[in-house]
Amino acid sequence: MKRKYFTAIAAACVLVLLGSCSGSKDRLYLYNWIYYIPEDVIEDFQKESGIRVVVDSYASNEEMYNKLLAGGKGYDIVVPSGDYVSIMIAGGMLQRLDMGKIPNYANLDASALNRIRFDTGNRFSIPFMMGAAGVSVNKTKVSGYEHSWNIFERNDLNGRMTMLDDMREILGAALKYLGYSVNDSDPAHLEEARLVVEEWKPNLVKFDAESFARGFAGGEFWVVQGYAENVYIEYEPSRYSEIDFFFPKEGMPMYMDSFCILKDAENVEAAYKFINFMLRPDIAARVSDYLMLPSPNVPARALMTVTPNYQFEDLAKGEFKEDLGAQTLLLYNEVWRRIRVGN
Amino acid sequence: MKKPDFIKAFSFSRTVYAVTIMFLFMPLLVLVLYSFNESRSGSWTGFSLRWYVKLFTDSSDLWRAFGNSAIVALSSALVATVIGTLGAVGVNWYRFRLRGCLRTITFLPMILPEIIIGVSLLVFFSGLGIRLGLFTVFVAHVSFNLPFVFLLVLARLEEFDFSIIEASRDLGATELQTLWRVILPLTMPGIMSGFLTAVTLSLEDFVITFFVTGPGATTLPLYVYSAIRFGVSPVINALSVVMILGTVVLAWSMRRFLKNIAAK
Repeated sequence: MKRKYFTAIAAACVLVLLGSCSGSKDRLYLYNWIYYIPEDVIEDFQKESGIRVVVDSYASNEEMYNKLLAGGKGYDIVVPSGDYVSIMIAGGMLQRLDMGKIPNYANLDASALNRIRFDTGNRFSIPFMMGAAGVSVNKTKVSGYEHSWNIFERNDLNGRMTMLDDMREILGAALKYLGYSVNDSDPAHLEEARLVVEEWKPNLVKFDAESFARGFAGGEFWVVQGYAENVYIEYEPSRYSEIDFFFPKEGMPMYMDSFCILKDAENVEAAYKFINFMLRPDIAARVSDYLMLPSPNVPARALMTVTPNYQFEDLAKGEFKEDLGAQTLLLYNEVWRRIRVGN
Repeated sequence: MKKPDFIKAFSFSRTVYAVTIMFLFMPLLVLVLYSFNESRSGSWTGFSLRWYVKLFTDSSDLWRAFGNSAIVALSSALVATVIGTLGAVGVNWYRFRLRGCLRTITFLPMILPEIIIGVSLLVFFSGLGIRLGLFTVFVAHVSFNLPFVFLLVLARLEEFDFSIIEASRDLGATELQTLWRVILPLTMPGIMSGFLTAVTLSLEDFVITFFVTGPGATTLPLYVYSAIRFGVSPVINALSVVMILGTVVLAWSMRRFLKNIAAK
């Protein structure tokens, strides 16, 4: 009696396993940033197209890239940021796109597209969302500051400030503060940038990319560098007025996340349908509403119902992070190591 | 001279006991408490069930990950239990060459760092051209669950009274009949604890799963890890509370089941 039961469970488990392994034509495997596309948008796409979307999430470009390099086959679409788009193009991991299949590409803001250097002319990548980390200030605690990176020089805020634990964001901020490009490769400029960061560092509690927003909302930190969405999500809407989120006037490093189709994708047609669907104004507006970010999709802006955390025009002073190349990357790593470890 | 009562109450062993219990259960208490918090933030703003509502109505990604975890945990634990039990019985019962060697080798996956097992499995799977997915996660989990089941069942077998087996063979039972009717029922507590250990290990595994997972095979620990970038959502707290309740019910019914066996 018990044996039969046992065998039945075993058989059921094996069946489920086999069932989940068999591939199907009407599927799309999407490897995307976590919490980037709301679930109801995916559901609507499934209803409209009859294609089942299987979503897996990652939390950093490195995680996604290394997973694919290590032999993670089977995904169709990935959403790398700019610098990783060029790394993946160079590595031959992406497909050349057939623009005829993505007519909604025309909806994208030409002013943003023209500034792209990681894939000029978008031969391999279709921009999805863009944004930047900025500075959030708790207005109830801090006053008399200008919208500049120099706020991190203030000794009186010692022990109340955090910056991101992210090499490109920190060095990019310092380079911009000095008037250089966020992709600058001149060792002398990087040394100057290091000295700037060394000046900020004693005033910081820590370099942190995970829990700074919670500390900021709790009143523990007063000035934090980070993404607006991370900060606002910790606040009730009634307290939004306490936050002053700004991009420093000197400029800041900026990201652009783009849809790319992998070279070994098996569901290419479904991938094109999905990308085109995501660029439809009503869909792009829903995504922007969900993320509370401005849309690079021009007709979508009029359809948004939520006020974004910042305006698209605010991003004008930003500069896209590009791939540095192996040589310069080593230089950056060394500067960053000295900042983090000391000496 | 008699020590005053308050010194007895704060004796060393009692203090250690109290501190240990506190360290074990305080985090759980905090977790349960915040699952009922009204706001997302770290401060208490009021009682609310909104995270539970969100968990049960609007978290299909989370439940898909949970479903994957459950499938892998149950199936891998089941297979590991069957193979591990048979292996333990075989090693205990028969004498063959390399028997001692086999016992030692089984320890290896337990003492090797998980990250090495993960990388080697990944290299192995991609070398064979096996597509990464739920199946490879299943295979990996069976392989690291196996030694635990094997050792738990073996421990039970080693305190076994061999005259019972001899008696059953004496009375005319075949080898298989002895296995099914005598050995398995008597080792059932070991088998069940092996199975439960395997389920737990599989449910919580992150490192090995991270390496061998593929499209559509995100498990719960992997999902929680990538979600943590946006701060721990109280929905995860709510899910943890549900899982704690599930575990308590499971452990309690298991205890009764084992007691019944012992009573028989």
